[in-house]
Amino acid sequence: MINVQNLYKKFGTNEVLSDISTTISKGEVVSIIGPSGSGKSTFLRCLNLLEVPTSGSIDINGKNLTSSKKNIHKIRQQIGMVFQHFHLFPHLTVLENLTYAPMKAKGIKKAEAEMKARLLLERVGLSEKETAYPNSLSGGQKQRVAIARALAMEPELMLFDEPTSALDPEMVKEVLDVMKDLAKSGMTMVVVTHEMGFAREVADRVLFLDHGVLVEEGQPNEFFSHPKTERAKDFLDKVL
Amino acid sequence: MNLDFSQIVPYIPFMLEGIWATLKFVFFAIILGSILGTILALFKIGSIIPLRWFADAYTSIFRGTPLILQLMIIYYSTPQLTGYDISAFLSAILAFGLNSSAYISEIIRAGIQAVDKGQMEAAQALGVPYRAMMKDIILPQALKNILPALMNEFITLTKESAIVSTIGYLDLMRRAQVVGSDLFRNFEPLLFVGLIYWCMVMGLTMIGRVFERRLKQSD
Repeated sequence: MINVQNLYKKFGTNEVLSDISTTISKGEVVSIIGPSGSGKSTFLRCLNLLEVPTSGSIDINGKNLTSSKKNIHKIRQQIGMVFQHFHLFPHLTVLENLTYAPMKAKGIKKAEAEMKARLLLERVGLSEKETAYPNSLSGGQKQRVAIARALAMEPELMLFDEPTSALDPEMVKEVLDVMKDLAKSGMTMVVVTHEMGFAREVADRVLFLDHGVLVEEGQPNEFFSHPKTERAKDFLDKVL
Repeated sequence: MNLDFSQIVPYIPFMLEGIWATLKFVFFAIILGSILGTILALFKIGSIIPLRWFADAYTSIFRGTPLILQLMIIYYSTPQLTGYDISAFLSAILAFGLNSSAYISEIIRAGIQAVDKGQMEAAQALGVPYRAMMKDIILPQALKNILPALMNEFITLTKESAIVSTIGYLDLMRRAQVVGSDLFRNFEPLLFVGLIYWCMVMGLTMIGRVFERRLKQSD
């Protein structure tokens, strides 16, 4: 589904991603872990072209991302993204947050968009909040709305950029539970996370990045119990 | 002190008509200034370099020269250069609208840049096209932040409108001068229109507050 070949990203002279190649297949849940500043988020943001790669290619469903900047809206509509700081639209109600993009970008009728939005709110357990404004929600609720907003576009792929890092500890679980449900439903997911428990339990594969290099990848069980590289061992010693 | 307001009583209807005369062109100038200002602001933050240059040059010229000069150039040079006999009313709308758009564009630019970058990224990630994103997501949030500054600009424009009296447009100010020279008493009519200007600005301030409250409902 996603095929990344020799991806490089530089900010000025600073090389943030260096020669990354990997493939992610449909229905797979991939966790990206690594120390801060390792390029995890940049890599994720390259996958929907919020960052433009310096060189290399990214194919999503056979469509080359970097050469199709004109159709980037269409491609992005198939890729949901969840941010660390939610980025809900503060001047719209929860329901409007969910219906805005389907109506504007896909031309779906209001009634249909609202019906789908209500189903999604039910799925993330926030039906009673549909007329609330984002600023009145807790962090965990905001992130669940943000996930529902991304799902409202019916994407084939979901990107999560440290979705629980800005949350109070007691709210992490409610968001992870929604993500686990999503993984069970067969959604293809790429998750940048510091939640090693989630990576271990839910992910099909773990990518370990350090200094912009894809140092190691593998099954979570194998990776967490028998990391092959010294750098991964160091990292795991510090976080586990 | 020999103030005698009874003297101006017969002239009050004449002066009150000036409210309408002033409001009429101020209204159109604000509309023109806001539309043009928004377009210029979008040029300034956009990626098309020539448009950015144009917007910067425009702002620099209209902010860098006196408003009264711009007004006179438009009023006196248009007939000479084009043969079109421009009315004082139209000159006033143009001068104030064009001048104000330079200031408004700077206010809006700052407002847009103050909106969290994440808002734009979230809209982009959802595949929302640029125009819709600007119109529905970024500008409404920018507007909320800049409303006080924008109201300031509208208040300034309303008060500064008095300088159209220099091209003979019969606004509030000009009418006070006419009454003054008719009566050989200037102080009373000037105080009278001063009060009217103050009331107009208070009205504007009140409208601004209502707007601000309405935009705050999402907090």
